Amino acid sequence: MGRYLIGRVLQTVLSMLVVISIVFFLTRLSGNPVNLLLDVNATQRDHEILMHHLGLDQPLPVQYAIYVKNILVGDFGTSVLTRRPVTEHIWERLPATAELGFVAMFLSVLIGVPLGMYSAVRRGGMLDSGARVFAVLGQSMPPFWLGLMLILFFGVVLGVLPAGGRGGPLHLILPALTLGYFTSAAILRLTRSAMLEVLGSDYIKFARLKGLHEQVVLWKHGLKNALLPVVTFAVMLFVQFLGGAVVTETVFAWPGLGRLILESITTRDYPIVQAGVLVLSALYLTGNLFVDMLYSYLNPKIRHARA
Amino acid sequence: MRRPLRIGALIVTASLLVVTSEAATPPEGTLTVAVATFGNERWLPHLYPGAEDVVLKPWGENLLSRDPRTGELSPMLAERWKVADGGRTWTFYLRKGVRFHNGTELTAEDVKFTFTQIAREGSASSLAPEFRLIKNMEVEDPHTITVRFDKPSVVFGNKVNQGLFASMAFIHSKRYIESVKEEGAERHPIATGPFRFVEHVRGDRIVYEAVENHWRATPHFKRLVFLKVPEPSTRMAMLRAGSADVIEIGGEYVDELKKVGVRTITMPNVSWVYIILGGQWPTKPTYDPKVPWAQPDAEKARKVRLALNLAVDKQAIMQRMLGGLGTALGSWLSYPADAWNTEALKKPYPYDPAKAKALLAEVGYPNGFETTMNLTAWPGRGYLPDVGEAVATYWEKIGLRVKRRPVDRAVFSADFRARSYSGVALAYGAPLVAPEPWEVMYRAGYTRAALCLFMEHPRFDEFIDRLSIQPSHQERVRIMRDEMGPWLYDHVPGVAIGAAHAIVGVGPKVGEWPLIPGHMGFHNWEYVTRAR
Repeated sequence: MGRYLIGRVLQTVLSMLVVISIVFFLTRLSGNPVNLLLDVNATQRDHEILMHHLGLDQPLPVQYAIYVKNILVGDFGTSVLTRRPVTEHIWERLPATAELGFVAMFLSVLIGVPLGMYSAVRRGGMLDSGARVFAVLGQSMPPFWLGLMLILFFGVVLGVLPAGGRGGPLHLILPALTLGYFTSAAILRLTRSAMLEVLGSDYIKFARLKGLHEQVVLWKHGLKNALLPVVTFAVMLFVQFLGGAVVTETVFAWPGLGRLILESITTRDYPIVQAGVLVLSALYLTGNLFVDMLYSYLNPKIRHARA
Repeated sequence: MRRPLRIGALIVTASLLVVTSEAATPPEGTLTVAVATFGNERWLPHLYPGAEDVVLKPWGENLLSRDPRTGELSPMLAERWKVADGGRTWTFYLRKGVRFHNGTELTAEDVKFTFTQIAREGSASSLAPEFRLIKNMEVEDPHTITVRFDKPSVVFGNKVNQGLFASMAFIHSKRYIESVKEEGAERHPIATGPFRFVEHVRGDRIVYEAVENHWRATPHFKRLVFLKVPEPSTRMAMLRAGSADVIEIGGEYVDELKKVGVRTITMPNVSWVYIILGGQWPTKPTYDPKVPWAQPDAEKARKVRLALNLAVDKQAIMQRMLGGLGTALGSWLSYPADAWNTEALKKPYPYDPAKAKALLAEVGYPNGFETTMNLTAWPGRGYLPDVGEAVATYWEKIGLRVKRRPVDRAVFSADFRARSYSGVALAYGAPLVAPEPWEVMYRAGYTRAALCLFMEHPRFDEFIDRLSIQPSHQERVRIMRDEMGPWLYDHVPGVAIGAAHAIVGVGPKVGEWPLIPGHMGFHNWEYVTRAR
């Protein structure tokens, strides 16, 4: 197990190095930030001075070497635009993103798991049909459209929830619903299919024969075993929420990490894009590692195979 | 100078009355404003190019302002001023007792410091070229500063003017910036405006608080919050739901806003929309003689440009792309009410595709030619790619083969600087950054300026040379009306579309809002009243 873990950690570090290298070179292909920082009437001299000040006049390999060296000592650089440390910007936005991600995930699991379970138990019934419609709608409605509809209905027509921005708990409801609906539908489908498989197994039949209460059979013996793929999926989804909620963040004017990265791409703020992607890839790879470990913990077969 | 002084005295008196009346009703409540962009989100004089006008104007103040009806300069931080030596010397007499947000008094040293910062090497300020023409500055006493130029700078007052878009020579505190350093001043910036800085979360919000008993105008709202909401549908929903009180919105949404009963305020003639035809710079290394509209045969080139104008239905573009919010015009960088505009100049080039096709055939392009239309969005002018697309479609009707090139502003800014867009067209909306068209074109078409944006011509240089040293406003009006205007109309530098308005959506909290005609972007926040 120890060797396996060390191997996975090394893999993770290597993957991150590849990611930051790709991002470093790709961002530099997208245009020069100095052209946005200066007015179009600026002289060539102004241009040169700013390029020098930002270290962009150095050859690309030199810039890359400086960048990697700084990262190794925990220095992510300063924003081209604000000249403030990049870490400050990331920390400023991370709470909003985490807050939205947690609530959306919580809603997804709260809706998706019980609905998926009972949909499997009452296969072919009204509840199952309703749940399947819910799942199809959730996976086919674009979050952009859903977000706007929710804003119009709850914010404009009913006037009970704020239409955008970050504030108190009420501000969280609509973006979390938008983000969570898609994933709750996916979790529902996954739970349903896993439960269908589990419900047909011998140990469930045996548990029923033993005379256990149906709820105990379903929750303790059924769901616990069906949750393995769901947990894996949910962890990876949560990590995706942290960086991939750009659409939801844009529609709801939510000041999260995804929007920060998107805006930094448009303003060519390389250090923020690089650090943002680094944070997200670190989260993603760590999430992956965590899932692998969880898998081997939950499923003895995997543990033994790796051993 | 007597008349401006009299007007100045009137404005001072009016300002005092406003201050007195405001003292009775202290600021209350929050005004939340949703805008598409904050610009570069910088706070120091050499770091903001100009697009930040909307979010910085509540906080900063210029030396002067202007009467929007007459265009005359009026006092602001400077209570009076004197122009001598044919425009080579400007002396500003500062108002006493004006305080920065940290309580220190504004002095002439602060003015000198700010102007030096704007002009410094590497400055991002759009005013840098003009401020670099300053020969020296002399602080005569704590409240008097004299600015000297080698050549006359007859419109320097327009560069230090609160009443114009992107004129952002806001006076900064020398002592404060030197004590907290640039980094500290960027984190907690101070100026002298009616709103003081509270918080800035990049890409999300800027929060201001009213300065009570401000020397000029105590705001009606206690807090002013700018939210960056890039999605227009969200801005509209926020306004309707009461999450925002003012929203920035494009003309294409005007019908929708009216349909749902949202109150709108029109800001008339805020930008001048035209199609830049790149490559009209015969003396520069990137000149390409094969570009039809810039070919060495000047008359043939002019006819090509005229044909490209005749091919386009400007009225239809105004109606469909800008929601009817604008006026199709033929005169260059002029607005319908300008004193240098005549009925003949205002008339748009007619829509006559048959004549356009015939003209092209006459100058050797019976089957049209290939060209590129860049589709680039500019802050606050999101309609420009649509205008470019519409013009490209009109051109195709007369036989041109137009390649569309969606290109980011950052990429195209580099093309601008390098003049590497010969043969490329681009829809552009010039904001009214200076009241007289030659001032705008000084930056866009004057060979001896720092950079030329889209054209050059010795005749045009002559106009600029004469206008830039002409101290008489009346004579400048005459030159623009009787000489430069007709010449530009005949020369056809690009495809003229016309003057575009902008609209603002406002919620029920907003009462009166006196806007300056021709000023692009939101402004005058301190005068926005609370609805009763």
